[in-house]
Amino acid sequence: MSNVRRPRFAIGTTMAFFALLYAPIVVVVLFSFNGQKSLSVFKGVSLRWYEAFLNDQELLQSLGMSLRVSLVAMVGSIVLGVALALGLVRTKGALGTFAGLVMLVPLVTPEIVTGVASMMLFKGFGIPLSTGTVMIAEVTFSISYVTVILRSRVAALNPELEEAAMDLGATRWQALRLVTLPALLPAILASAVLIFALVFDDFVLAYFTTGVTPQPLSVRIYSAIRFGVQPTINAVGTLMLLGSIALIALALAIPRFFGRRGGLSILSGE
Amino acid sequence: MAHPAVRLTAVTKSFGTAPAVRNLDLDIAQGEFFALLGPSGCGKTTTLRMLGGFTTPTSGSIHLDGVDVTNHPPNRRDVNTVFQSYALFDHLTIWDNIAFGLKRRGRPTAEIRERVGEMLDLVQLGDMATRRPRTLSGGQRQRVALARALVNRPKVLLLDEPLAALDLKLRRQMQVELKQIQREVGITFVFVTHDQDEALTMADRVAVMNGGVVEQCGAPEDVYERPASRFVASFMGTSNLMTGVYSGGTVTLDGDVRLPVAQRTDCADGSTVSLSVRPEKIWLSDFEPGMVRVTGVIRETVYSGPTTTYLIDLAPGLRVAALEQNTARARREDRWEGGEEVELGWRPQDCLVLA
Repeated sequence: MSNVRRPRFAIGTTMAFFALLYAPIVVVVLFSFNGQKSLSVFKGVSLRWYEAFLNDQELLQSLGMSLRVSLVAMVGSIVLGVALALGLVRTKGALGTFAGLVMLVPLVTPEIVTGVASMMLFKGFGIPLSTGTVMIAEVTFSISYVTVILRSRVAALNPELEEAAMDLGATRWQALRLVTLPALLPAILASAVLIFALVFDDFVLAYFTTGVTPQPLSVRIYSAIRFGVQPTINAVGTLMLLGSIALIALALAIPRFFGRRGGLSILSGE
Repeated sequence: MAHPAVRLTAVTKSFGTAPAVRNLDLDIAQGEFFALLGPSGCGKTTTLRMLGGFTTPTSGSIHLDGVDVTNHPPNRRDVNTVFQSYALFDHLTIWDNIAFGLKRRGRPTAEIRERVGEMLDLVQLGDMATRRPRTLSGGQRQRVALARALVNRPKVLLLDEPLAALDLKLRRQMQVELKQIQREVGITFVFVTHDQDEALTMADRVAVMNGGVVEQCGAPEDVYERPASRFVASFMGTSNLMTGVYSGGTVTLDGDVRLPVAQRTDCADGSTVSLSVRPEKIWLSDFEPGMVRVTGVIRETVYSGPTTTYLIDLAPGLRVAALEQNTARARREDRWEGGEEVELGWRPQDCLVLA
């Protein structure tokens, strides 16, 4: 490869791309350590905004809610999404094809439509908006992602594996639990991490389905900005960034840990 | 042990409208090494899957050791399967793979440890116990699949193309090994293959299937030496198949070649029949008295190591193959060349009339 001439403009384009992509993020990280309240002048390094965040009960409450919602959405959508993926792959004929198409609709629907629709649904049934409604909406929204990732893995599974388990005396349920699910585990864990990150970062759906207090972190930040940007937000943003990087690293590491492909090949580009 | 290990009674299996297996009756004796042989789509795999319980017959019944298991699921049948893909569990060690069946049946830990150990020794994988299937070679994985099935001491062991994934040399070696293991454990083996060589080498009895029916069932020698149909003759090894008209002990082929054959009471004069002569049954010299003799012209000489095949025209458009062993006594100068006229001969019983 070292003999291949690399055209200069390609290097330039690549650098410009990364500069544009990361400049805003760098600004946020940098100013989270600002000693002053200014958002344009950097003066002195300090951790005062991190301290301010840790003393802000409302923000902490929102962080707690976002973590709870992400956890519930992760577990809920994994349970339902894996079941749906298994069902879709094994249901032959028109019914299976139809269900497969319906499953894809949430993926292509603009999120704002899903958000408004969810809100109207809850209102229509007289369900007050709360942490619970955010959880329901996020689970519903996340199932499609899990199913899309898992479906190809299920389809690639050797059908003889479950037959072998039953041949050796396992019931249908035991074959699923002892053979099929362990074979899918890398993909399940990787999509769990992805869903956690997606839901934690989600704003639109959370905005339309949350109650007044507490609010998810993303909604809380948005509300705060309407009253003027506080440097505390930079600290929160930096922490969220760190958390996201850790999650992505985890998602990439899972398949390697299992020593086989099957995780998020979308992310690793393999 | 009055019951056969396996009894199929009038078993039919249809997928949609097309029957994959038609009205199959089959008895397999205790301790037999039985082969279901045929081309793809002949119904052999469907038959094996019905024995394993992965497919339910459309009609008919299946008995294992005298018990009707027609509608029993796989986990309630005393049979185990070696799958074509081996279907080893990659998330478990070799030891846990082999112990899987015993654990499902709730055997005591001490017994599991002992029986898994015995099996690992039988298939010579004692030092691989803690490895994962993925790290093993094809031949080793094949042995794990075998051990995982045999450890349960099933009444019948089913093998679906067990050696298909192995290279030729390893396949030859495993053929012998499988046969030895079967003799050692004394369990009835039923295996499916499309490889006639494999069936002849390993099986005590072979059922040749075609189009969902058994065309012929018998010992390897019977099936090879005395094929009952044109299909069996052509599927088992190579055969010179010639079409002609039967008339009182003589068959007239194209080009007015007349061949005396054994009398057949079931063939009317003037009916069209097939003749089958194996290439290795054709002599080109040192004839015996009483042989059928014809003349032909050598068209092609194909040398392939231990044997030489001659393609000989008996008449224009009527070509047969004759096979000669290149034994120590055969000399290079004695080989026939193209264009030479030769005399061919075979014993009357080696030329079969197939209706």
